Amino acid sequence: MLLLIYFELLKTFSKWRTYIGFITVSVVIPVVMYALYYEGGEFINAQTRSIQKEFFMVGNLFNGWVIAQLIMNSLWVHIPFLITLVAGDQLAGEAASGTLRLSLIRPISRSKFLFAKYFTTLIYTALLVIVIALLSLGLGLYFFGSGDLIAFAENSITILHQDLLLNRFILAYALAILSMSVVASLAFLFSSFVENAIGPIIATMAVLVCLLVISNLPVDLFENYKPYLFTTYQNAWSLAFKDILDWNEISRAVTIMISYLVGFYSLTLIIFIKKDILT
Amino acid sequence: MSTETILRTINLNKRFKKRWAVKNLNFEVKRGDIFGFLGPNGAGKSTTIRMIFSLIKPTSGDIEIFGHSVRKNHSQALQKVAGIVENPDFYLNLTAYRNMQIAGGLTLGKIPSSKSIEHSLQIVGLADRSKDKVKIFSHGMKQRLGIAQALLCNPELIILDEPTNGLDPQGMKDIRELIIKLSKENGVTVILSSHLLHEVQQVATRMAIISHGEFRVQGLVKDLLSENKDIHVISVTPKIKAMKILKSSSLVNKVSLQKTEIEISTSHKNIPKLLTLLSENKCNVFSVYQKQTLEDYFLSVTSEEKVL
Repeated sequence: MLLLIYFELLKTFSKWRTYIGFITVSVVIPVVMYALYYEGGEFINAQTRSIQKEFFMVGNLFNGWVIAQLIMNSLWVHIPFLITLVAGDQLAGEAASGTLRLSLIRPISRSKFLFAKYFTTLIYTALLVIVIALLSLGLGLYFFGSGDLIAFAENSITILHQDLLLNRFILAYALAILSMSVVASLAFLFSSFVENAIGPIIATMAVLVCLLVISNLPVDLFENYKPYLFTTYQNAWSLAFKDILDWNEISRAVTIMISYLVGFYSLTLIIFIKKDILT
Repeated sequence: MSTETILRTINLNKRFKKRWAVKNLNFEVKRGDIFGFLGPNGAGKSTTIRMIFSLIKPTSGDIEIFGHSVRKNHSQALQKVAGIVENPDFYLNLTAYRNMQIAGGLTLGKIPSSKSIEHSLQIVGLADRSKDKVKIFSHGMKQRLGIAQALLCNPELIILDEPTNGLDPQGMKDIRELIIKLSKENGVTVILSSHLLHEVQQVATRMAIISHGEFRVQGLVKDLLSENKDIHVISVTPKIKAMKILKSSSLVNKVSLQKTEIEISTSHKNIPKLLTLLSENKCNVFSVYQKQTLEDYFLSVTSEEKVL
C-alpha cells in the first residue's frame, strides 16, 4: 500500500495543476499581508469602531493572530475550488489520458488502487491547509507581532489571550482540514463518474454552492435538514475561537463530517469496482 | 508445440446496453503460441482483450488464465500477464524510467531493479532515453516503451493489441523479430491482435477469427491457410476465351473473373494440364500462383465485411 501511495504522490506532484493551489495561496496571502501592513491599523479600527465607544482597548489588536484569522475568513470560500482542481482530476484525469487502463491491467486490486488515490487526495488537501496556516501565521506573526485575538462571532466578541492561541489555531486548522477533506471526497466521488476532469470540478462547485445557500438561508423549511448538511460545518474551524470550547458542538461537527467522508468514499469504491474501463 | 492451455475463454459474453459486443466466445491459447487474434473493426477484439485484463466485466462467462478465474481472482490470474491495450498511454510528466518503475511496481509489489528496467529499455532501443520525460516521445517511441513495460517482470503471457501502430517499417520488423525471439528463446506466449494481416501471418503459429462478437474459426495458421490451397490465380490473355476453356474443363471446380486475373479452384496437381490446355488454345499465360494469404482466408471467413 505504501508503494501505491508513493506512486500516487509521484503522479499527483508531477502535474502542474497540483501547484496552482500552492502558488495561489503563496501569492494571495503575502499580498493581503502587504495591503494590511500598508493600511496600518485602519482595518481593525473599522472592524472595532462600533465597540470602541463602550470599551477602552489597549495592547496590539492588529497582530499576526488577527491577520491569520482574517485570511482564514476571506479565503475559505475559494479554497474548495483549488482542492477540487486536484481531487476532481484524480480518477477522471487518468481515465481521460488512458493511464487508468495502463495501471489496471496490472495485477492489483482496484480497492487498493482507489484507496491510494484517495489517501493522496487527502494528503494534498491537508498540505494546502498547512501551507495556508504556515504562511498566515508565519508571515503574520513576523510582520505584525503577537497579541490577543479579537474574534467576532454571531452577536458577540471574544477576546482570547495570546497564550491560548497556538492551540486554538491548531484546532481550527485541523477542523479546516476535515471540512476541506469532505469537499475533496465529493470531488473524488464525481471524478469516478466521468472521463474528463472539468465535469467533477463544476459538479462539486455546483453542489457546494447549492448546499451552502441552503445552510445559510434563514428559512424554516430547511432548518430540519441543516444539521445534516456537510456545508453547515464548512466553517467548523470558527468553533475553535469561542471563549469556552464547546466540545459537544465540535464533536457533532466532526462526526457529521467523518460520516460524509466515509459515505462519499464508500460510494466511490462501489462505483469504481463495478466500472468498465472503456478509455 | 505445448498442449497446455494457459488461457481459455468460457462462454464469454458482453453486452453494452442492447448491443452484444461479444457473444458466447470460446477460444484457447496454448503455451508457447504466438496467437493471432483477428476480426474486422467492431468485431469485439478490444472488448475481449479488455475482459482478459479485467478492465471490463463480462456480462456472463469467464476467462481462465493459468487456471485462475479472472472474474473471481483477477490479481492471481494476471500475475504473469503483461501487455498493451490499444494505445500505450503513460504519465507524460514523468520520465520513461519512472513510468517503468510504476508499471513494474504495480506487478511486483516492489520497485523493480534498475538492471531489469534498463534491460527492458535496452531491448526496445530506449536505454539512452530513460531519463527523458515521456511527453517529448514520438508515437513510435511510446509504442516501444509500452513493449518495454510489457517485457518487465518476465511475464509468461504477453498480450499485444496493435503493437506496431505508428512504427516505421524497420520498427515493425524489429517488433516482429522480438515477438518471435520472445516465443522461441524465452518460451513466452504472445497474443497478437493486429489489423495488419501479413504481419500476423509472418509471426503467428495459431489464430482465432471473430466477427460481430462471435467466434468464427481457430486453429494452427498453417492448417487454416491450407484449407484455401486449391485457389489459384492465373494471369492470362485473352481473358474471356480463357474463362470459357477453364469453365468447360472437368479439372476446374469454380472459375471467377477478377479485375486483371482469373481465379480458379482446382487441385495443385492439375495446374500443368490446365496450362497445356490454355496454350493449345492459343491463350498466353503470364503467371500462375497459389492464393494462400491470410488476408484471403480472413475475407472468406468474415465474408461481406470490410477488412479491419
